[in-house]
Amino acid sequence: MIPYEPKIVGFLCNWCSYAGADKAGTAQIPYPPNLRVVRVMCTGRVDPQFVLSAYREGADGVIILACHPGDCHYKEQNFRAIQRHRMLLRMLEPFGVGEERCRLDFVSAAEGESFARVVTGMVEELRALGPLGFGIDNTVASGSRRESGI
Amino acid sequence: MRVGVYFCNCGPNISEKIDSESVHRSVEGVPGFGYFRTVDFLCSSTGTEEMENDLRNEKPDRVVVAACSVRDHEETFREVMSHAGLNPFLMQMVNIREHIAWVTADREQATAKASAQIRAAMKRVVLHEPLERKELDVNTGVLVIGSGPAGLKAALTLAEAGRKVYLVEKEPMIGGMPVRYEEMFPNIECGPCMLEPVMGEILHGPDAGNIELFTLSEVVEVVSSYGNFSAKILRRPRGISSDLCIGCAMCIEACPASGPNPYNCGMNDKKALDFPFRGVLPNLPYIDRASCLRTSKGEDCTACRDACLVEGAVLLDEAEEVVTRSFGAIILATGGALMDCALLPNLGYGVVPDVLDALEFERVLAASGPTEGAIQTYSGTTPRNIAIIHCVGSLDSRHLNYCSGVCCEVAFKFNHLIAHKIEGASVTHFYKTIAVPGKEEFKLYDEAKGRETTRFVRYDDLSELSVSGGGLHKGISISFARGEGIEADPFDMVVLCPAVVPSEGTKKMLSLLELSVDRFGFAAEMHGRMDSAKGNVRGVFLAGACQSPMDVQKAVNQALAATGLALSGLVPGRKMIVEPVTAEVDPERCSACRSCIPVCPYKAISFDAERRVAIVNPVLCLGCGTCVAACPSGAIKGNHFTNEEILAEIAEVLI
Repeated sequence: MIPYEPKIVGFLCNWCSYAGADKAGTAQIPYPPNLRVVRVMCTGRVDPQFVLSAYREGADGVIILACHPGDCHYKEQNFRAIQRHRMLLRMLEPFGVGEERCRLDFVSAAEGESFARVVTGMVEELRALGPLGFGIDNTVASGSRRESGI
Repeated sequence: MRVGVYFCNCGPNISEKIDSESVHRSVEGVPGFGYFRTVDFLCSSTGTEEMENDLRNEKPDRVVVAACSVRDHEETFREVMSHAGLNPFLMQMVNIREHIAWVTADREQATAKASAQIRAAMKRVVLHEPLERKELDVNTGVLVIGSGPAGLKAALTLAEAGRKVYLVEKEPMIGGMPVRYEEMFPNIECGPCMLEPVMGEILHGPDAGNIELFTLSEVVEVVSSYGNFSAKILRRPRGISSDLCIGCAMCIEACPASGPNPYNCGMNDKKALDFPFRGVLPNLPYIDRASCLRTSKGEDCTACRDACLVEGAVLLDEAEEVVTRSFGAIILATGGALMDCALLPNLGYGVVPDVLDALEFERVLAASGPTEGAIQTYSGTTPRNIAIIHCVGSLDSRHLNYCSGVCCEVAFKFNHLIAHKIEGASVTHFYKTIAVPGKEEFKLYDEAKGRETTRFVRYDDLSELSVSGGGLHKGISISFARGEGIEADPFDMVVLCPAVVPSEGTKKMLSLLELSVDRFGFAAEMHGRMDSAKGNVRGVFLAGACQSPMDVQKAVNQALAATGLALSGLVPGRKMIVEPVTAEVDPERCSACRSCIPVCPYKAISFDAERRVAIVNPVLCLGCGTCVAACPSGAIKGNHFTNEEILAEIAEVLI
């Protein structure tokens, strides 16, 4: 049997965490390959429905990686991400989805090591937790999913 | 729909960890797959040339580039797209180097991850829309609001560069606050003398023709945005023609009415038709409508006009007018003010006679002030024992929790001037912290420390101090609440050095221009360190004490920084590029809820009350997408980051 490997979707902002991931790359700091990157210009763009959609598509965890408070390229839009994340946590709690599967963290453009550490930590935690199992069968439902849009 | 995929090996950097052949096999089943190319160094000149030729031959509908970080080469490949005749926004880049090859230990896993990310990019890119960078004609003129050192220097520098400048000042004279100071720190240099060369250039210099000066005026409306602003300027009547008046002052002698002089903080009276004080520029008196017999009492007095030597120079019934001017950028230089010391009742300000704030004391020291520069108590005696209280309202969590940075300098300047004006007078500094950074700034403090007549008394908290007494021939006592009192003869005069706060004019303009305000009420900078001369509305630049307490040197430097931004942002003959990665409202779906308006950090969204829809100004929008996520109706589209594009990407990375 193939051991379980969690799938994680990471929403990375263009200015801080995407650049932080670049930094981890240039410094060649290894981390597990479980993270799939979706770049947005700002974490303020992350619609809570993106997060829900990731679970529906089979993600075991979602991480929003923002600029540190006070460092947002767009002034304070990462605070909107923080607010929306809190709302998501309240909403997901009754479904047994806790913060370990729906994370928000801060990584600056300089923090390559921190990026690798955050991702590695989340992968390890989710390996221990096991699969979430919200994913629908893509082959069957992709058509209807596409039509429903958002 | 045909998607062309370009896979860059980056020499061994990517190819060692990711097998392009496996990736090719993994992506060829994605609907719309057109072709797959593996190139060794796609960003090199041969690489881009090869890609451009290939794009011309293949004519793909969409392109995916799997290479390095978008932060390195997205622009490079967008250019290649353009050169090949394709819309640059029909390309999506995947970072398989920094985000995969360099951080994944296992080659198979790296290859699988790269395949998933490339497939996701393909699914996304087919949804991309061609976007156009728009070009906008710009007006290179600049509106400068405020004519203190910052506004003057900005206006003059812009005029010297050949730009049209509209300089708006609410007072009848230019020069701001420092023109009222007899001497300035750190070098005991006369304020008006320091400013006069600049003011002279503004009024009569070789580039003065580029500057239109509005005194007694106020900006009352600003519309449109960066590159093409337009403003309404309300010009209040001066009552004197600036073209005809020769400044002889005959009218002033003839004027029968007088009232308190606001430029001397009301410490003396001036004529209703008078100069704010002698030596102002422009060298023109003005009619103070609050004390003029015609305007305040409706009397038919024509004394000034009768005395005037030049026909038509006195304009008794001049009306206010509103003029409109167009320009491309705004420099806000509306300055600061002193905190109202009456907010600290224990200091006796406004109650105990001879307790003055720093501005009042500046005017007492000034030759153009109420006592012509003589330090006198209100009963006319020369004070022998003066107290100066530092940090009034500043460094105080109950009032203003910051250091204004200039008050200690001002206090030691006062010490210096008192010592020179009153031989043997003693000065006691009540201070909390002494802050005199800078290469020149220590000197006056050092001098005060070495003076036998100077004492220093430290307090922990301003509320410990109580200022009382005063009155005719009685001293003012300063006692400590904890009872240990100060053992000295009572003081004859107390000078308070209050915190610097935003001026009323600054507050008004911040609200008019819809600029963000920091927690102290100053203009918030785009970035406190890297972009401190930019306000958060594009095209509005900040200079001087409207953004923070500041000394003249820093204010002038900020002004020159703001000037540089206006000069480089608006270049004659060059169009402004409006990036298309912005938000766009679909008026059909907009429910007029206005949720989007407060989340925009750049005030780029306005509400059209007539059509009942929100409108995004693409010149102001920087494309963060927060409003897109906030819109409950899904009426806002984030160009290049649409819901559909992002959702397609999410679905595919998880397969």
